[in-house]
Amino acid sequence: MSTLAFTLAAVPRPLLFAGFMTDDTQALATGLRQRDPDLLDRLIEQYQQRLYRYLLFLTGNPPLAEDLFQETWIRVLERGGQYNGKSKFDSWLFAIARNLVIDASRRKKISSLEDLGDPESNTPYDPPDERAGSVLQMLVSRENEQSVQLSLLKIPAYYREVLLLRFSEELGLEEIAGVMATPVSTVKSRLYRGLAALKTAMTESAA
Amino acid sequence: MNETLHERAHQLLAESIVEGLRPADETWLREHLAACDTCAQEAAATQNVLRALRAVPVSVPRDLAARTQLRVRLRAQQSSPAATGSFWLWAVTAASWLLGVFSAPLVWRGFAWLGANFGVPKLALEFGFVLWWAVPALVAVGAVLHQRALSTGTKGI
Repeated sequence: MSTLAFTLAAVPRPLLFAGFMTDDTQALATGLRQRDPDLLDRLIEQYQQRLYRYLLFLTGNPPLAEDLFQETWIRVLERGGQYNGKSKFDSWLFAIARNLVIDASRRKKISSLEDLGDPESNTPYDPPDERAGSVLQMLVSRENEQSVQLSLLKIPAYYREVLLLRFSEELGLEEIAGVMATPVSTVKSRLYRGLAALKTAMTESAA
Repeated sequence: MNETLHERAHQLLAESIVEGLRPADETWLREHLAACDTCAQEAAATQNVLRALRAVPVSVPRDLAARTQLRVRLRAQQSSPAATGSFWLWAVTAASWLLGVFSAPLVWRGFAWLGANFGVPKLALEFGFVLWWAVPALVAVGAVLHQRALSTGTKGI
């Protein structure tokens, strides 16, 4: 594999795929303020895959993810007037979903969501252990996506979340910081640690 | 090759994923990966992991979107401005009706006075009284029914 290909692939693509950009977000904000039911129908259709995946991987619980999916859209309906169209809709949507997950975890004591709060200790980031990297090498031949998914479920929710937002949803660092209501430095730290945790989880799976 | 160089390459690989690299670091990393098979394999493996992360397949329950759309529409109807308007319409109607009940004796005397002074037939006075008493409620009920008909017509689920 060429190094150029790696570099291009490693940095998330520009957010052109995201659906609604600046002009559209204003129209979207207007529609949400007016509680336009047809607009909401379209949004539910458009974001169902991404939102459900986010909720499912955050909770690890399909029925709960379904409940929270519905609650998220109810909240979008009720608080649509608060969306000002200046930020991306998906960031706002994920922030709503995230708050509902936190509320649910407080009510139901979901084990996988014990702490979506700040897990960071005050220690600086340490580069990943090189021994963990050897497991990645095994994946070169396997290309086993399932293994990555299973390993994702084994790492703490706060790392899983940030990895999903960055690499599945392809949100920018600032956008993730907005969703999580944390500084960008915390997002970066969680990404480094999350990648390291994922490698470790994959090491254990492969062993 | 020096171990420190591999460590730097691994660190830069992580940085390139998370926040991108400065041009100088990117150039250094390219050259290192071109020369170092071990680190190039690490880079390839990392890319595979990222690809898998980007492609995490999740099948959404088949009717989840439809159920959600239905629930959102129902909630929208329950808390819509039209529903709020209906509440106030009913409240005003109730207040109007109560006022009518309690003011009926006075109004009746007023109609009687009109009859006595202007010679209006008793039947006309009674009809006028009933009309005065019932019209606000009838108008309000008509408005509510009209609103419901409009709502059903535009929001058929």
